[in-house]
Amino acid sequence: MDISFKNVSYVYQYNTPFEHRAIEDLSFSVKSGSFVAIIGHTGSGKSTIIQHLNGLIRPTSGSISIGNFNLSASDKPKNLKELRSKVGIVFQYPEHQLFEETVAKDIGFGPKNFGIGDNEIMERIQQACTAVQLPNDLLERSPFDLSGGQMRRVAIAGVLAVNPELLVLDEPTAGLDPRGQQDMMDMFYQLHKQKKLTTILVTHSMEDALKYADHVIILNKGKKYMEGTPTEVFANKDALSKVQLDVPEVIQFLHEFKERFEGEITYSNQSIKQLASELTNQLKGLTNNE
Amino acid sequence: MNNMLIIGQYVPGSSFIHRLDPRTKITIIFFFVFFIFFANSLLSYGILTLFSVGSALATRIKVSYIIKGLTPVWFLILFTFLLHLLVTKDGEVLFRVFTYPIYTGAIIQGTAISLRFFLLILVTSLLTLTTSPIEITDAIENLLHPLKKIKFPVHELALMMSISLRFIPTLLQETEKISKAQASRGVDFKTGPIKERIQAVVPLLVPLFISAFKRAEELAMAMEARGYQGGEGRTKLRELKVGPLDWVALLCFILIIVALFVTRK
Repeated sequence: MDISFKNVSYVYQYNTPFEHRAIEDLSFSVKSGSFVAIIGHTGSGKSTIIQHLNGLIRPTSGSISIGNFNLSASDKPKNLKELRSKVGIVFQYPEHQLFEETVAKDIGFGPKNFGIGDNEIMERIQQACTAVQLPNDLLERSPFDLSGGQMRRVAIAGVLAVNPELLVLDEPTAGLDPRGQQDMMDMFYQLHKQKKLTTILVTHSMEDALKYADHVIILNKGKKYMEGTPTEVFANKDALSKVQLDVPEVIQFLHEFKERFEGEITYSNQSIKQLASELTNQLKGLTNNE
Repeated sequence: MNNMLIIGQYVPGSSFIHRLDPRTKITIIFFFVFFIFFANSLLSYGILTLFSVGSALATRIKVSYIIKGLTPVWFLILFTFLLHLLVTKDGEVLFRVFTYPIYTGAIIQGTAISLRFFLLILVTSLLTLTTSPIEITDAIENLLHPLKKIKFPVHELALMMSISLRFIPTLLQETEKISKAQASRGVDFKTGPIKERIQAVVPLLVPLFISAFKRAEELAMAMEARGYQGGEGRTKLRELKVGPLDWVALLCFILIIVALFVTRK
């Protein structure tokens, strides 16, 4: 699904003393099938952008198009439900939305709402469980008996079971242990690759953005601050540090290497092993010259 | 979600009404609510209206915001007025709507009752608009203090009040978050047959209750961990102090009440 934001602004509690401008004159576009990371500090408007994506809120001014759907202050899509069936949003701490008696029922809740037949729902529950690596014997348990990580997987399976074309992830790994974070991100990346899911990831983690995204948008105080491929964006260390954002460790390391040894290695998605051999080559070169 | 309703909403500010001791405000409002029923002449209503509107302006909160916030109450006021118009049969027949007679007494009484109603709501909402919930509970605890003698659990009551007030916005936020998450999963809260809409509340209520219980448990644990043991010997971070401003306000209010009784019929 192609997405485009044109001069979008959103103001919370418009016309009250609590008026608060969350995003301002924001324009960007996302190509179908791409993996986009949106990065910014708390309060930079990330969550507000997400809520526009399936029509939970409409822009105060400007316009948005998502596939064939258009959203603006005056334009409400007639079929919001159809839009919501195509855009799956995994909110922060999605396990807080669980409510059914059994895991299976909770995963099947979304598809049921969108009018999917019972047999197909059973199939989708199976598929979603496989996708999030949830053991089948949990299906008849109460979701509230599970561990935190498992609950999150159930909630994510519930979103995947709707078979969205666009998957939106709002800090999906918050509160998980490092191993769980890694597993979960790998899982989303696989889904993105296998199903050609257009994926939007909202994150604090520069490492994740560098590793998975093919396009990065940096937000600052509701405005777009930078945009480009991860390598482009993270090459600009000074601009990032102006808004108190770091660059990923790998790039930080290469920077320091450059300062210390005056060697030049540009990052272009090499693996750690490749980088290591490039580094050894350069260092050998340095010692040979002396 | 509740953008429209301002009852219970606190708007921070630094006007002199904001700075009054909450006990002064509560006392004045308590007696205002009581004395408003003594007004019976045009002039006495005028004085009370002047007092309430004057105080509302003195808060320096945007008038449009106060008026807009009272929207749900307008209907009630209008309804009261119409009811009086149709039911009261005092005085002369002023005019007829089709064949139904409207009496002068009905108009006078309808206006008087609606005005009373409006002033009551306006003044009481000024309290919550200019006083933070914490201040209000502090003041209530302080004012109810004498009841301790008859073993009335004043501190516990105040604590319960402040905890529930403190968690109203949190729960509202939580409700909004969960309802958005469920709406994304295809729950339709706004359209469809009544039966389906009632069913749509279940996926909202269950997670809400679960998180509320969790919160309560965590709060209780945190309080115990920090050695909380009730009101006995507990000091306060914010001491309530009655200053010159409060005496001035009280004096003004007393003068207005005196004027009210002088201008009564």
